[in-house]
Amino acid sequence: MSAPTFPVKVVRGVTLRQDPAREPCFKVVQTGDEMFEMADMSETSRRERLHRHMNNEAGAIEIAAQCLVDFPDAPWDLRMQLARQCYDEARHVAALLRRLLQLGGYKGEFPIANYEWSVTCTLDSLAGRLAVQNRTFEAGLMDLLGSLLKKWREIGDHTTADMLEHILADEVTHVRFANQWIRRMAQQDRRVLLKVAQAIRFLAATDVAHSPGGAAQAPGVRPAGADYASAGINVEDRRLAEFTDAEIDSFLQNAGLSSLVPAKAGKE
Amino acid sequence: MGLTIREKAEYVGTFRGVRVYLMEMLARWVPTTPELEVKVLFGRHIWDLAQHADALGKRAFEIRAPLHYTLRPSEEYQRLLEEISGCQGTAERIHGFYSVILPGLEKRHGDYLAHTDSLQDEPTVRILDRIQLDDARMRRESQALLAEIPLRLADPEWPGRLAAQDSAVTQFVVPGSGVTLAREVAS
Repeated sequence: MSAPTFPVKVVRGVTLRQDPAREPCFKVVQTGDEMFEMADMSETSRRERLHRHMNNEAGAIEIAAQCLVDFPDAPWDLRMQLARQCYDEARHVAALLRRLLQLGGYKGEFPIANYEWSVTCTLDSLAGRLAVQNRTFEAGLMDLLGSLLKKWREIGDHTTADMLEHILADEVTHVRFANQWIRRMAQQDRRVLLKVAQAIRFLAATDVAHSPGGAAQAPGVRPAGADYASAGINVEDRRLAEFTDAEIDSFLQNAGLSSLVPAKAGKE
Repeated sequence: MGLTIREKAEYVGTFRGVRVYLMEMLARWVPTTPELEVKVLFGRHIWDLAQHADALGKRAFEIRAPLHYTLRPSEEYQRLLEEISGCQGTAERIHGFYSVILPGLEKRHGDYLAHTDSLQDEPTVRILDRIQLDDARMRRESQALLAEIPLRLADPEWPGRLAAQDSAVTQFVVPGSGVTLAREVAS
């Protein structure tokens, strides 16, 4: 990657883009172990999930917006998709904040981290950013939401579950356009694939540095956090987002779910 | 006297250029504005501005300009945009965009509509009508937000001075800025 032209920070030896602006009420932390995550669905845990998700969606607006700024010569139709993503993520933030307030929470109640912004916006290619933010982080959110919806319904909070279902539908659209554009860009210039590979390697290295045990994560499968660890691969929505069957099989294998991968014809 | 096709393309291309500039300005402001609700406001309006630019860019192609034909406005108007774009304060950003730029553009759309043939140029008229409705909604949403969260201007007179500066801009479209049109279409 070329030398950064933006403010940076160094976290556990990795140089990343400096955090975006946040109000003083928020406590911004740099690593997962500084967050306040609970595996249960207690009232405090529910508010923390909404609070963390709200900040992640704010990061998603910021990432899509920064792509509009940093890549003014990108194809107009792709810029339109990014602009639409800003709108979608903004509505997600508003919906999550509204729900957080309804459940007695407030901005700044829990620590927040801007990991996705810092990793993605350090990358100097649009294809790399789409691969990391949309194809990895947002695809990981699809997996997570697929399992979280059940948890919220099990405790009888259908209002939150319905909201998350709307968010999930939008995320499928964001992952799909990234898949479509990366393929299109790679067809026009195969060097784009090198940028994508470079971006995924950077994410993997950053994940390792940030993981408590220093463990590498499988590409395309989100690391860290009890929820992510227990979330399965959301095969149905990954298909809707135009991951190929081979890619989905690969995600399942990387997630330790090889037994769910259909056997190839002639090898049964 | 009405506008020629080339003059219309210059207006449409300039309106588009300003919309793209404003889309990028809000996009630059999103990560650098601390208030969450303001990020949401800007994030939603980035999409409005993109749709306006898209409609104008497609209209340009219908009036014998290249698809998504885009022109810079006059230097004096560009300076005004840059002054507002460079604002660091949240209140200044909100007032600069919603209380100065958008009302100024409304007037310029009105000027165009007054000089075009509303029948022959009806597709442009409809696009500008829709943009005006969106702009009015965006302004209402900004006012609702300002009523909700306390944001103070460092200098309360500043928006008024900028609005006066906007009114003093004598030229919005650069005349003859479309002189390269024929060459671009040919290429």
